[in-house]
Amino acid sequence: MNREKKSVGLYGFTGCNGDQLTIIHSADKLLDFFESAHIKSFSLAKSDNDDSELDIALVEGSISNQEQAEHVKEIRKRTQLLVAIGNCSCYGGIQAMDLGTKGWDRRFQKVYGDGFLKLRTPIESKPIDVFVSVDFYLPGCPIDADQFFFCYAHFLQDNTPVFPDYPVCAECRWRENDCLLLKGILCLGPLTAAGCGARCPSNNLPCVGCWGPMKEANVGSEFHLLKEKGFSVEEIKRRFRIHTGSGMMKPLKKILGVL
Amino acid sequence: MREIVVEPLSRVEGEGGITVQIDGKRIKDVRFDIFEGTRLIETLVVGKSPVEDVSIVCRICAICTLSHRYAALRGLEKALGIEVPPKVQWLRSLMHLGECLESHSLHVFVLALPDFLGYPSAIAMVDKYREEVMQAMALKKYANRVMEVTSGRMIHGENPTVGGFGRYPDKETLLDFQKQAKDLVLFAEHGADLVAGLEIPSFFEEDTVFMCCEPGDSGYGLVGDHIRISDGEVVKVEKYKKLTNEKFVSHSTAKHCLYKGKPYTVGALARVNNLGDRLKGRAGTLYKKYWSERWLRNPFYNNLAQAVEVVWALEQIPRIVDNILKENEDPKIVEPTQKDGEGVGAVEAPRGTLYHHYKMKDGLVADANFVIPTGQNLEDCEKYMRKAVEELLKRDSDDETIRLQCEMIARAYDPCISCSTHMVMIER
Repeated sequence: MNREKKSVGLYGFTGCNGDQLTIIHSADKLLDFFESAHIKSFSLAKSDNDDSELDIALVEGSISNQEQAEHVKEIRKRTQLLVAIGNCSCYGGIQAMDLGTKGWDRRFQKVYGDGFLKLRTPIESKPIDVFVSVDFYLPGCPIDADQFFFCYAHFLQDNTPVFPDYPVCAECRWRENDCLLLKGILCLGPLTAAGCGARCPSNNLPCVGCWGPMKEANVGSEFHLLKEKGFSVEEIKRRFRIHTGSGMMKPLKKILGVL
Repeated sequence: MREIVVEPLSRVEGEGGITVQIDGKRIKDVRFDIFEGTRLIETLVVGKSPVEDVSIVCRICAICTLSHRYAALRGLEKALGIEVPPKVQWLRSLMHLGECLESHSLHVFVLALPDFLGYPSAIAMVDKYREEVMQAMALKKYANRVMEVTSGRMIHGENPTVGGFGRYPDKETLLDFQKQAKDLVLFAEHGADLVAGLEIPSFFEEDTVFMCCEPGDSGYGLVGDHIRISDGEVVKVEKYKKLTNEKFVSHSTAKHCLYKGKPYTVGALARVNNLGDRLKGRAGTLYKKYWSERWLRNPFYNNLAQAVEVVWALEQIPRIVDNILKENEDPKIVEPTQKDGEGVGAVEAPRGTLYHHYKMKDGLVADANFVIPTGQNLEDCEKYMRKAVEELLKRDSDDETIRLQCEMIARAYDPCISCSTHMVMIER
């Protein structure tokens, strides 16, 4: 069957570029990636980029100034499918860990003094779905190459990929690791979406939550378990916030409200 | 008035651009604009524990993730009174070399080389330079694997932690790294020859100052507790603020740096210029073959300096693997001996000297400051772009030539814009 090649654009907003780099790092697959579609824009990798109509836009990074907000809206207008890749795009990333705590103005002042940016109008960093509708979320900090190409192949075929609805704990069990929570270590495995292959627990280190919250995660149960283990509410809240910002805090707020 | 604007600057990491304003034959302004979004990372690490800190700061940048982690570890461990055993130090050296290799091969072969050979990307070079592109990919893949195994993931691995490692790689994997390094060094040499064969324009050459970590063992290296400056001075890393003197400019979310009021360069070129005569083996031979005084005046040699460092890193890896394998016991993670303290950690990130400065109180970060290589290079990069534009105007060059030369100078510095941007900025 002869299909018309799809037009694809990659865009990077605020973040570390780790998601686009994950694609560049997939050395063997990179040439196939460039041959599988018309890559219209990928400014980290090439300089002949254009702003034409797209079938698929892959968007990395959070939105941290007015200009980026306008740009992501403009991308939305000319693409069929808009995919958020990576935690910054999906959840706001580490730079949005304090989103919703109203401390941004003060922190901005601390770093940038009384000056202002001449070229851009900064705002508190937010996930892209605050500004545009997102068709698919591919989390991870950074994304996993296999998971990305699995999704990407689906998009090229006009299919929607289906993701497992289980936490890092499941992957950790499959790797036959000892449970770190049982050893009294603050591990976020039960709350975090699977996809990384339980990398950190497999290295004897706790899950930091960098894949973002799993749907239906039992946040309350983990919270009470950690409290029983002797962790302070402050420390638990801090860990919950670092990689997923308000993602894991929303359910926690409900619980803390009745505490 | 003519205005030449490059936005965004492609094939660099992060959001940046170039603006050149010309009034008749006179330059009005030459700017390396940095508009990467603000992240306020220094404020986010305050109140965090040491392990939380390293998990955050490595995410400043995906290319230099391990350099950030390493600099943070060095700073935090000084502040917390932690001394790590030799096996930890060697494994950290290995991960750091993996990153240096990865970053340099990405920059030299994927980001910079297309400029010199007249292509929009490395992918477009495949038809004519298939072998070179494939070999470069193999080199990058190897380096990625070293990073993945040592750090636990290709990007933002959590395995290198405060006081040691979560897990140590097995012997077979390390021996395989050793063997592959010995194979890859042949291509790396060929790659250096290829880069050395490129014509390097001389019309904008100008003296500058170079700065890098002094490894302290009269060898070549990427970490140190002192900084070596090309004027002969050697300064303790704790005095870093005197060397970097960050200042605010209004067109950049990254601060600019000056040493004794002058712009300076950090990175592979600075390291090879300051320490190159210590290189041995194949890297030493390349240095003797290609180094000239022009390297002191022309940032384009950064590409060749990186290619020489690729060969050096591949020659180092077998030696480091031997040292790791000498230590049978996997050391346990070393716990802090104090909760309050202060420490400055410096490492050579691929793009140059990276400082992480921490003040700890009750075991949590009370204050943090980071000085980033790209921020240190911005002033020098603008200096060379300005000089190039001046010279090109004398020759009545068209906008396209001016644009391309400025882009190439910027790209030669291998700017890492995500890294540089977390900095103070005040209207000039």
